[in-house]
Amino acid sequence: MARITTPNRPPSARVPGDRDPATVLLLGLLLVAATSVVVYRDVRMDFRLTQRQFREMVLRRFGADAARTVPAGVQQIFVPGLDRADRCVTCHQATSWKGFEGAPQPWSTHPPAILTAHPVDRFGCTICHGGRGWAVDEAGAHGRGENWGEPLLDGALAERLSPGLTRRTLMQTACNQCHRYETRTEGAESVNRAKQLVQEKGCRACHQVNGRGGVIGPDLTWAGDKHPAQYEYARLSGRPSVFGWHIAHFGDPRALVPDSVMPNFHLSSDDTQALAVLVMSWRKLTVSADLLGGTPRFDPPDERARAEQAEMQKGPGAWFVRTGCFQCHNVAVRGVRSPTPIGPDLSTAADDTLRRFNLTIDAFIHQPVGTMRAIFSRQIILTPVQKDDAVRELRAVWAEYEAQRAKGPRQ
Amino acid sequence: MARRRFWSLRPASLQDAVQAVWANLLLHGFPARMLTTSLAWLPTFWLGTVSWVLFVVLLLSGLPLMVFYIPSVGDAYHSVEDIEYVVSFGWWLRAMHRLAAHLMVTSTTLHLVRVFVTGSYKNSGAGDQHREWNWVIGVAMIAATVLLSFTGYLLPWDQRAYWAVTVATGIVSSTPIAGAIVREVLIGGRAIGQATLMRFYVLHIVVLPIAVATLFGYHMWRVRKDGGLASGDGAEGEAGLVHAIPRVVGRIAVVTLATLLVVTVLAVLIPSPLEGPANTLVTPNPAKGPWYFLWLQEIVADTTLGLGPLRINGGLIGGLILPLALGVVLAGWPWIDRSPLTSAGVAFARERRVQIAVFMFVVVAVAALTVVGLLRGPSWAFFWPWQAWPLVPTRF
Repeated sequence: MARITTPNRPPSARVPGDRDPATVLLLGLLLVAATSVVVYRDVRMDFRLTQRQFREMVLRRFGADAARTVPAGVQQIFVPGLDRADRCVTCHQATSWKGFEGAPQPWSTHPPAILTAHPVDRFGCTICHGGRGWAVDEAGAHGRGENWGEPLLDGALAERLSPGLTRRTLMQTACNQCHRYETRTEGAESVNRAKQLVQEKGCRACHQVNGRGGVIGPDLTWAGDKHPAQYEYARLSGRPSVFGWHIAHFGDPRALVPDSVMPNFHLSSDDTQALAVLVMSWRKLTVSADLLGGTPRFDPPDERARAEQAEMQKGPGAWFVRTGCFQCHNVAVRGVRSPTPIGPDLSTAADDTLRRFNLTIDAFIHQPVGTMRAIFSRQIILTPVQKDDAVRELRAVWAEYEAQRAKGPRQ
Repeated sequence: MARRRFWSLRPASLQDAVQAVWANLLLHGFPARMLTTSLAWLPTFWLGTVSWVLFVVLLLSGLPLMVFYIPSVGDAYHSVEDIEYVVSFGWWLRAMHRLAAHLMVTSTTLHLVRVFVTGSYKNSGAGDQHREWNWVIGVAMIAATVLLSFTGYLLPWDQRAYWAVTVATGIVSSTPIAGAIVREVLIGGRAIGQATLMRFYVLHIVVLPIAVATLFGYHMWRVRKDGGLASGDGAEGEAGLVHAIPRVVGRIAVVTLATLLVVTVLAVLIPSPLEGPANTLVTPNPAKGPWYFLWLQEIVADTTLGLGPLRINGGLIGGLILPLALGVVLAGWPWIDRSPLTSAGVAFARERRVQIAVFMFVVVAVAALTVVGLLRGPSWAFFWPWQAWPLVPTRF
């Protein structure tokens, strides 16, 4: 039989593949090395180290029996009512242990008071703290990636967002997702303050909140769900964020939105922060009834304000109540008291328009300027007949006011 | 002898060589003897083998991923989070699968470029050769590979996936007359949703892999039928022939290990992206298709123009006319190419220099447009790599 392995080939010439066994060996070793890195990375996840350290802490303090009860591996709290799997307890194992109150994170005991009403095993963690419950590495779980909209609401974030903002205040955006319909929530001072401001400043004069309010400004009921991309940041300095936008906007609305008719309320920085926290908390959240418990499910109507309004509607100022002026304006001479008197008293309006805008009341009602232009075009739409009524009413109250003054202090 | 330790089967005679191939299921597709030129790294770069190895990597990593992945709009994203964060080696499987897919699109394309510039789709007239049909099969396999990658793109159901598919299927709908219907059939409705996810999933795990595997079998069978590599057509008699076994096994082992090594190292270095869950109301800016469609998206963006009252439909040009025309010309090129038979299997043959120049121009243009597309930032503005994009606004 003919041997035809390499006929006509000079003995010195190499055939491709002569060195392949050595190359295979080399590549094989490199592949083993690369795969070892893969195995090492998978086995040596940070949480295993964290768990080992906690077990040692328990061993030192409570002995070997207690240490054996510390679970190993990925731990999770599945909250069906929120459709969440919170794996935070994989590293934060001391949450429900007594005795680690002063320990550094992630090995410290959770303050117990809040957990009596919100047991961890029923509520999980991320509903209050933010972050990414599914992840088990620190950066991922704390939602540091730019692709995750729910970062951990911690002190570092609060500090970065606004000077003087505390973690305690920032976290109330989470509290108020469920407690939004309460007028007062124990422990949520900033949100309580903000809710009080909403009443005092009369936000509802222009904005709908929970189905009640004006239509000059946007409906704020679900304002916290508005996507970051839907805000205009051109006039905002620093990192563009919704929270930063709200703080700046509450500080000076026209600085961010030049054609805004929203007044500058000259709020303190604590108040702007509190309002930003409140607005950010107004989110649509599917929470099962068993988690909500006795928390109100809808905005309770303000019975007192309603009764007062009914009373005023029977009085001499009925026209101003019916037309809606009383939402922002008092009319003292007719006994009309606004729940949120953010505009001037209408008793002197016929004079004010002359002094402030150099317009007679007739001209002002027909060709309004400033805030009233927005209100007359969007919220209170008057027919020509109603406009004439308005002029007549305002002239009448001005005359009554002058008459009262004439009788008043001079005598 | 040292070599014995690696490979004991070393046929000493032609009969042994034939027996080595016949007796082994895995080897029986190989010839008993091969030309030394066919065993060399050049001119093929073994890109077809690389593509096949990547396909096997995709099958092997895809199987366990199928176990963990849940193809439902409500659960898909969380199941991918589970794979990424808590499934043992899940992040690795996902990274291998993703990177192998991107590399397979690249390697099959490079394979096509290599076959073109060496004129390997040409028959040299000897025997019953039909290399032109193997070229057509190859083009079809590239199309199937791109579709495999694209259908997999949607599965994580994150912002990137959802909007990339929105962009790509939006381009499809610019087809005149039938556009809306084609899109509806493709995504199973008027909007991307559960029906789309199911369609893409079934295409991704059943239809397209079977198509690629079947076409691959046919492709290899045709290579054998057509007398092996075109570069070996001129060989006469026994000159340059060696026993295929074990050399070809060694070669394939090297290519396999090298490919695995590249994918594994990349999997360690490059984390797989997972953006926020798909939000049908918020379009990311920029909304980009997958990278292999970026040259088309760039053309779509550049040809969507309003000239006075005239409006040029960029989607029609970049999304349909151009890729369709390129595809048809590409698949039909063996019949268009009238160069002499002697240029078969010759790299950069003088007789084909004009067509090679034109082809390379198109390849470079596509590559350049892809790079431009990659560099596009918000509002499709161009950013150099050293220019920072504007900060993406966040909630906090």
